[in-house]
Amino acid sequence: MTNGSFILATIGILLGATGTYLLLPHRRGEAKPRTLYILGGTFAGLGLIGFLLLLTPPALSPLADFVAGSFFYIFAAGAIGAGVMTVTSRNPVYSALWFAGVVVSTAGLFLLADAQFLAAGSIIVYAGAIIVTFLFVIMLAQMEGKAVYDRAARSPGRAVFTCFLLLWSLAYCLATLPGAEPSDADSVVSARQRLRRGRELASFYPEGGPAQARIALERSLRPTSSLFVDGDPMKPKPNVAGLGEALYTDNLLAVELAGAILFAALIAAVVIANPRPMTALPASKSDA
Amino acid sequence: MTIWVLIGILIKMLVVVGVTQGAVAYLILVERKIAAYAQDRIGPNRCGREIGVPFALIQPLADGAKMLLKEDVVPKYVTKPLYILAPWIAIATAMIGFAVVPFGPVGPNQIIDFQIAPNVDIGILYVLAVGSLAVYGVILAGWASNNKYAFIGGLRSSAQLISYEIPLGLSILGMVLIAGSLDMNRIMAWQSRHVWGILVQPLGFILFFTSAFAETNRLPFDLPESEQELVGGFHTEYSAMKFGMFFLGEYLHVITVSFITVILFFGGWDVPFVTSPDQSGLLWAIVKVGVITSKVGLVILFIMWVRWTLPRFRYDQLMDLAWKSMIPLALINLVMTAGIVQLVRTYWV
Repeated sequence: MTNGSFILATIGILLGATGTYLLLPHRRGEAKPRTLYILGGTFAGLGLIGFLLLLTPPALSPLADFVAGSFFYIFAAGAIGAGVMTVTSRNPVYSALWFAGVVVSTAGLFLLADAQFLAAGSIIVYAGAIIVTFLFVIMLAQMEGKAVYDRAARSPGRAVFTCFLLLWSLAYCLATLPGAEPSDADSVVSARQRLRRGRELASFYPEGGPAQARIALERSLRPTSSLFVDGDPMKPKPNVAGLGEALYTDNLLAVELAGAILFAALIAAVVIANPRPMTALPASKSDA
Repeated sequence: MTIWVLIGILIKMLVVVGVTQGAVAYLILVERKIAAYAQDRIGPNRCGREIGVPFALIQPLADGAKMLLKEDVVPKYVTKPLYILAPWIAIATAMIGFAVVPFGPVGPNQIIDFQIAPNVDIGILYVLAVGSLAVYGVILAGWASNNKYAFIGGLRSSAQLISYEIPLGLSILGMVLIAGSLDMNRIMAWQSRHVWGILVQPLGFILFFTSAFAETNRLPFDLPESEQELVGGFHTEYSAMKFGMFFLGEYLHVITVSFITVILFFGGWDVPFVTSPDQSGLLWAIVKVGVITSKVGLVILFIMWVRWTLPRFRYDQLMDLAWKSMIPLALINLVMTAGIVQLVRTYWV
């Protein structure tokens, strides 16, 4: 990131912050004058355009540059714009829908970065389940008109200041990042990094000769996915298999930990949800 | 990748959209006929008789014309943007789910890849992801209509779809574990090398098919629109083509679900006991497309048959079925399959 683009980013963030502040709902949930909304929309739109100018679309293949590039800008603008709309909508149902828009746009960006599993996963988990549950609750809670606290923004000024300060500091970190210097040391480190992966360690051993270690390693790492069955460059990249391998070799501890925590939460949910018989309540009270 | 690949994909999309829409039009006719036979009636048999077309074969055209020409009522009290958006969501999610479904052989030695997006590694997960978005169409239609029947229909639908997505996803995983890939082409390839999925995953098949009924809002799970309680459910306030779009979306979902059932559990285009070493070439491709579409047709007929055979569930029964029996069964199925696959891979292969 050069100095010029950093200044552009700062201007974009300032414009976006002003626009978002103007667009946010009134503190007491009343409607603002129309001109304020128009002004806020213009500022936020200018900030968005300024920010989009900084982004570079990913290069996938010769033709895809145009197609993927235009999709990249659509998704990026969609994600940021829908994010602003999520916080500025006065109706919680619309907020939830714009949030779904954010998730779908982000999934599109994941797809463009060739992270298909992440894209599908975020759509299934967030857009397909969590936001639908939000909508469900909002719709059930709003049977008698909208409440004031749903339409009002609590201390909009401080919220906008904090969020956009965070965004600006991110941009600042990016701007002060030293440029990548390609060197031999880099490739050595990355090769050493890659050696940690179990199956590559196995293929590191020589093919011929008494490679006992290699045989033992291969037996311990039986391919349950088709990652290595057909490592053909013509075939689609084994996204899911690669992800699974990374999760269960390099990050095994984290996966197991997350599983244990989720399991504990599941047990807690079952305990809380299970209705206790009414007679059992006084007994437990006297015990305590 | 050249510009021609892009044009080829666009042509494929047009063909698929056209064919599926036409198929939907005729499926409605088939459904009406099956309903008529199930109720000991004759069903539509007049349309086109004057110009010599037998079996009311131009009834779908008449239905389509009716949908387009009816008055498009938008009530005063609806939330207009969402009211208009909802049917579009219903139809769009139903259509883009088809993008990764292979309707014929796909591979490097084929002249045409019979799939719109052949390089999607996550395959079946994509269909699930897009299918999970379909609930927005129903829930928004129910909420935006500002009508209590529509609203209750939307609420029921969101609860039902969220609940049945879990056994749907879990029941697929058994087959994914066995074939070792989420890609539908590889799952079919495994089945043509070994046996059909229904033989190795019978429980998975039953769970998948049952949740598929619930996901497509078909009877016996059509609580969101149960007529005798909710007038028309979530689409009570919709008329003309907007109602038609919901209808279209539902049938497109049925087609997609039937394709996935055939691909996962009935071997795709595999015909049992026909083993020929070289199955490439255009002729084989056409034969395979014919085989898979006829299997899909049979599954769709079965779905329609069930609709006119079984009564509707009560709502608490519906929820009990999902959470208390299908999800535990699907989990047991998944764990057992994982164990067996690991044992087989370790000791026999």
